[in-house]
Amino acid sequence: MLLRKLLGPQNRNLWFWVFVGPFAIGLALFTYVPLAWSLYLSFFDAHNTVTPEDFVGLANYRTMLTDSAFQDSLLTFVVFTAVIVPATFALSLALALMVNRLRWMQAFFRSVFFLPVACSYVVAALVWKLSIFNGVRFGLANTVLGWFGSDQIAWLSTTDPPWYWLVIVTVRLWLQAGFYMILFLAGLQRIPKTLYEAAAVDGAREGWQVFRHITFPQLRATSVAVVLLLVINSFQAFDEFYNLLSSAKGYPPYARPPLVHLYILALGKEQNLGLGSAGAVILALIIGVATVAQARFFGLGRRED
Amino acid sequence: MHDALVRAGRALRVALLIALAALFLIPFYLLLRNGLAREEDITAPDWTLFPTDLQWGNVSELFADTSVPMARALLNSSLIAVATTLGTLLLASLAGYGLARIPYRYANAVFYAILGTMMVPAAVTFVPTFVLVSTLGWISTLRGLIIPTLFSAFACFIFRQYFLGFPKELEDAARVDGLGYWRTYWRIVVPNSRPVFAAVGTIIFIGAWNAFLWPLVIGQDRDAWTVQVALSTFTTAQTINLHQLFIAAVVSILPLLVVFLLLQRYIVAGVERSGIDE
Amino acid sequence: MTISRRTLLGTTSGLALTGALAACGSNTGRGGGGGGGGPELEHWYHQYGEQGVEQAVKKYADAYDKADVSIQWRPGDYMQQLSAALLTKDGPDVFETEGPELDQIRGKRVADLTDLIKDVKDDYNPAVLATKTYEGKVYGIPQVVDMQLLYYRKSLLDDAGVEPPRTLDALVDAAKKLTTKKTKGLFLGNDGGAAVLGATPLQAAGLSFVSDDGTVGFDDPAAAKALGKLRALYADKSLLLGAPSDWSDPAAFTQGLTAMQWSGLWALPAVKKALGDDFGVLPFPKDGAAGKPTVPVGAFAAAVNAKGKHVAAGKAYLKWLWVEKEDYQEDFALSYGFHIPARISLAKKAKKLQEGAAAEAVKLATENGFSNPLIWTTAANNAYNDALSRIIKDGKDPDAELRKVVRKAQSELARVQGKPS
Repeated sequence: MLLRKLLGPQNRNLWFWVFVGPFAIGLALFTYVPLAWSLYLSFFDAHNTVTPEDFVGLANYRTMLTDSAFQDSLLTFVVFTAVIVPATFALSLALALMVNRLRWMQAFFRSVFFLPVACSYVVAALVWKLSIFNGVRFGLANTVLGWFGSDQIAWLSTTDPPWYWLVIVTVRLWLQAGFYMILFLAGLQRIPKTLYEAAAVDGAREGWQVFRHITFPQLRATSVAVVLLLVINSFQAFDEFYNLLSSAKGYPPYARPPLVHLYILALGKEQNLGLGSAGAVILALIIGVATVAQARFFGLGRRED
Repeated sequence: MHDALVRAGRALRVALLIALAALFLIPFYLLLRNGLAREEDITAPDWTLFPTDLQWGNVSELFADTSVPMARALLNSSLIAVATTLGTLLLASLAGYGLARIPYRYANAVFYAILGTMMVPAAVTFVPTFVLVSTLGWISTLRGLIIPTLFSAFACFIFRQYFLGFPKELEDAARVDGLGYWRTYWRIVVPNSRPVFAAVGTIIFIGAWNAFLWPLVIGQDRDAWTVQVALSTFTTAQTINLHQLFIAAVVSILPLLVVFLLLQRYIVAGVERSGIDE
Repeated sequence: MTISRRTLLGTTSGLALTGALAACGSNTGRGGGGGGGGPELEHWYHQYGEQGVEQAVKKYADAYDKADVSIQWRPGDYMQQLSAALLTKDGPDVFETEGPELDQIRGKRVADLTDLIKDVKDDYNPAVLATKTYEGKVYGIPQVVDMQLLYYRKSLLDDAGVEPPRTLDALVDAAKKLTTKKTKGLFLGNDGGAAVLGATPLQAAGLSFVSDDGTVGFDDPAAAKALGKLRALYADKSLLLGAPSDWSDPAAFTQGLTAMQWSGLWALPAVKKALGDDFGVLPFPKDGAAGKPTVPVGAFAAAVNAKGKHVAAGKAYLKWLWVEKEDYQEDFALSYGFHIPARISLAKKAKKLQEGAAAEAVKLATENGFSNPLIWTTAANNAYNDALSRIIKDGKDPDAELRKVVRKAQSELARVQGKPS
């Protein structure tokens, strides 16, 4: 009797778990268990060990919250997001609008802009660091500067003005603009042609007016998705920072986003897993709050139920 | 007058597009130029557009270098990318279908628990996941590199949204023929959903091939290195061979570029139909 | 993958035992000899840049007959890989390390090796052995001594009318004069010197990271003064920055991108090959009245994983290789790259180290060498490096930055000295 109830009508409950179970169990094991473990470690002095005995209460949290390097890493994330999100949004939308209206060679241009998506951050960082933006005379950027008689610039080592941001932002822009261009292209294709025809009848000319009153409003859903994905991705930033800036002897104190900071702290030579875990928990809380706020702001979630 | 303006605008737009396309292609040009050059050509004070005699020998030199096992890394990356893609597609599509189509009291709760993990970035879980994987004894194993990455909430979410919009009539017909959930799924749903599988599969494949942080942390043994990790070690080595580094980078992206150009239209079609952006 | 590789290699040596392959040479990288039946030991090395080192260490391992030693040659961020591997069950049995790190010793992850070297203890370079010793016990056997020093291009200095700098002020001055449109005056690494110099400028000013009584050794106005001069180098635009390879690679120096470069002794053969006699070496110049010229010395040490499966066998193997087999130690230090043997008696015998720039360097290492003490932790070091970078690049006030570091260093020193493990 109980068994039948558990199985549900037509064994639906059983079938549900046959389909969803393997995925859910794996996700729990590799996401929720580590989260719980992280929470546990964060209350201990865990240098070089994952089974600590030295309970320290909230000391790790206190250290982390008052640590100026951690605060700097959060600030780095904010600056990075404030630049990369609008920049990628504008570039990928512009590319989509231009490519969409091409009558010839559309596939060619689409491929060219989409191709960098296939490159890894590691490869791109190599090209940027060693060939385009290296600080010596045979770097491409410095060669171009040389044509105009300017001095060489050590792009990644100069903090005043912070040229390293130019390197970091352009590499990500190159890598991801094509992907979002495809999303915008898909969005553009869904806009009914009749809207444009009606606008033409009303005397609206090609260009800005049409974009403002028809195209952009029609892309609202796509735009929201693009912004959300961009923000999530910029929070995950690690690869290009690490490959552009770290050296055998360490990582400079600037341009250190949260993920890089935690990597150095917990998995570098220091192996301070307790402190690193406390940092991870703090980050999780911040993201939770930010995500809820963002979802409220965009009015997401209403559609769900 | 008006026509002339429109034509000028169009010409300007095309010129801008060509300029942007050229900018986007520069990194590929640099990869080839440096990869096929001698060290002196790269570090020469004056820029040469392309090395005068191309050093195809750089390729064989790369594979002959025993300190960076490039062939092994390519094999590892291929194995990992293929296994991750197949595994993710299987697990996430089953889960997505179950969530979308099998009525269950707690289905929504399960769905939100899955969705919630998308908001937890790798920054938060990578330390404890590393700890977990090391406890399992999976450091430097293919298991450790593949299994923890198989559970993509993103892929599951896409599949669920897609299956919600899957035509019910097809399934109902199968029901009438007496097929259960399992056989309906395999005989009716999967064969009619190829574009979404292709789109999600390509995205997962690219992600797995290009993944860096997880393989860096888990694949510590030289035999477990992926292409990205192998490349990264070039930059931190005591001395850097620029031409070798660049030819290695070329080798690492070639397989993906080929796959990519071939499958591009599926990705575009998949994005359009699956509603990734909605 | 480790497992499968081990099994594969195990099979190979098993075949060798049957004698079927014995005639085909001993190039299996392991086993060999008459024993073969001993325990399997995994021995890690970081990737040496010089040709032939990997073959050499495999040859040594092959010659050992009381255990089956397999060599793991590991490029990349070695110390990070090692720390992580030692957390797990699959760590190496024996390994070389820049450490061992204090937390590894206190966490009992590395074995006590005091007994192994007790007969020859006085034969080791004392500065280097001290960094492997904690509370009177030795946890790593020094393999070879490495050092950093300043290379300068004689012809470029002559052209500019500059004397080899003997004080920090003179260095700042010389770097400025040597800087031209195509060539920079000095290369201290792509970050402007923050990471590689470490305590070197403090030592040059007569200070140190940790003083003899175990307290912070740079809580002194002279420290801020010395570090402020590094800022001058950067502000003058005399420093080469953003070269493709870092300070450890002499490429920037040999390619003529810089007139002077801070690098390692290991770079000497490459520099000599490229420039012939057109170079010289110097210590880091002194600063202030209490200062003295200085060079950092350090050593990779061989250590045993205390949580490994074969601690006793690992110790016996290390004793054989790094204490008893002096011919191998000499070969390792001198036949491939350019290192000073850690054993003083061997260093004295080495012909290669008796003339020219090499002899000069050895003299500097003996007379002016210093090493960071074991109780100077990574956390303290990171705080110091960050501050140094801010002083050099951002022009932050050295006094204020150092005060923050002093606080951090005090709490770290209290942590590691306060409570016994």
